[in-house]
Amino acid sequence: MTIDTLAPETAEATDSPPRGWRRFRGAIGAVALFGLILGVWIWAVESGAVHRVILPPPGDVAIALFATFGEGFFYHHLWVTLQEVLVGFFIGVLLGFSLGAILGTWALAREIAMPYIVAFQGLPKIVLAPVFITAFGFGMTSKIAMAIAISFFPLLINTMSGLMTVDPESIQLMRSLTASKRDIFFKLSVMHAMPSIFAGVKTSLTLALVGAIVGEFVGARSGLGFLLNSYSYQLQVDRVWAITIVLATIGIILYIGIEYAEKKVVFWSAQRAVEAGM
Amino acid sequence: MTTTLIRTDSVRKVFGGDAERVTALDGISVEIKTGEIVSLLGSSGCGKSTFLNILAGLLSPTGGTVQIDGHAPRPRREVGMMFQRSLLFPWRTVLENVLLPAEIMDLPAEVSRNRAEELLTLVGLDGWGERYPSELSGGMQQRVALARVLLPDPDLLLLDEPFGALDEMTRESLDIELARIAQLTGKTVVLVTHSVYEAVMISDRVFVFTARPGRLAGIVDVPFPRPRDLATSGTPEFAERVAQIRSHMETSL
Repeated sequence: MTIDTLAPETAEATDSPPRGWRRFRGAIGAVALFGLILGVWIWAVESGAVHRVILPPPGDVAIALFATFGEGFFYHHLWVTLQEVLVGFFIGVLLGFSLGAILGTWALAREIAMPYIVAFQGLPKIVLAPVFITAFGFGMTSKIAMAIAISFFPLLINTMSGLMTVDPESIQLMRSLTASKRDIFFKLSVMHAMPSIFAGVKTSLTLALVGAIVGEFVGARSGLGFLLNSYSYQLQVDRVWAITIVLATIGIILYIGIEYAEKKVVFWSAQRAVEAGM
Repeated sequence: MTTTLIRTDSVRKVFGGDAERVTALDGISVEIKTGEIVSLLGSSGCGKSTFLNILAGLLSPTGGTVQIDGHAPRPRREVGMMFQRSLLFPWRTVLENVLLPAEIMDLPAEVSRNRAEELLTLVGLDGWGERYPSELSGGMQQRVALARVLLPDPDLLLLDEPFGALDEMTRESLDIELARIAQLTGKTVVLVTHSVYEAVMISDRVFVFTARPGRLAGIVDVPFPRPRDLATSGTPEFAERVAQIRSHMETSL
């Protein structure tokens, strides 16, 4: 048995795997639910329960989506938003991890910073958007700043708490092996914190997207948030929904990417579940 | 020729601040010879683990002196410590876990790797090197921990109830194996245990501790020949030692 066979799928499969069509019953159910949602949507619009200006029928949204894909400027806005999200996310992750690492390993720094952490945690970060627009202008910088501000925090918390929950006896083991603080940090603490860090990274990613879009809503000349806002003012609701679907898709693709990386890096986390079941 | 490896004089350890002081150890003066297998025996909270941690250099005594090979105790390559839990890292394969000390101590890679493979064979885990700890039973994980502590070839093994969390059958077989390995490699062993049986089975001498504060109640010699096996535990002499230790433990209560 190799490590690959210990992926969660096989881990669950140890108690009698479903056979035949039953293996796909989850997927079949998901597709059925999608059909149900479309049905309710069409019914709501056609019966007049919801006005077409608020919610156009799915067909109109699909047409608007393809029309959007056919327009060159859409790709310009898409590229702007993608850059803001990815740059903001990347810097946010670096910042969150670094600060979390400092606070997770240095008790004094943690005690000093704790009131500020609590205050920042309670702050709805969206209120910073106008400040950043004023400070950094209508370009991408203010959106990147917004993405960083909103996304670094969950990673900071998760890195810190991950580092703080290292088993003291494992540290004793490392010490008995003449390990330096550096050895203990890199060979034990960071690895121990990795599942928690990845959970933080996933939250950060979603929030980076939120940050960039909120920034664009507040003040921008390009980007998908700007485009969505413009369509909204023009009452082109089918286009608004089309852009919403694009944004959702971006979020899903990025999330899947992180999940893939997580499975590769934090492979033992799935194993731990197996161990617990033994 | 036997020489004294460990010498302690009136070792005392007090935990806590002024308000709540707990004396964990008091007046521990012992000598342990090179190549000897000694058990520290006592009920929970008698300070035997504290004493072991002091020998390992992980705790400093409040009073008294400790000398190991003429030096004050500190973590070093010549001293290996094993814990009640295997403390294997789940992100490392069995082989990588065994090689952890080599990485930390900067031992030559190829030599260490060969030695790790040999040790896995020695502890009966030949061919398990590429597995992950979660694929192993508790007893097997502890065997890996044994291979890991042996990797840097320490002269002194400090074992803190290494098989205490395992079932009795597994523990007995690992005890015998441990004694065999220690004899084979000529290592000095200090073993913390709360099992009278385990202490008599493995040791040359048993140090019986009293509880709160931990003091030495008595030292019992176990002069049975090695290698010992399960049959040894059925002899009248074995029962006699067990009774002797129990009487020490009772008078100490």
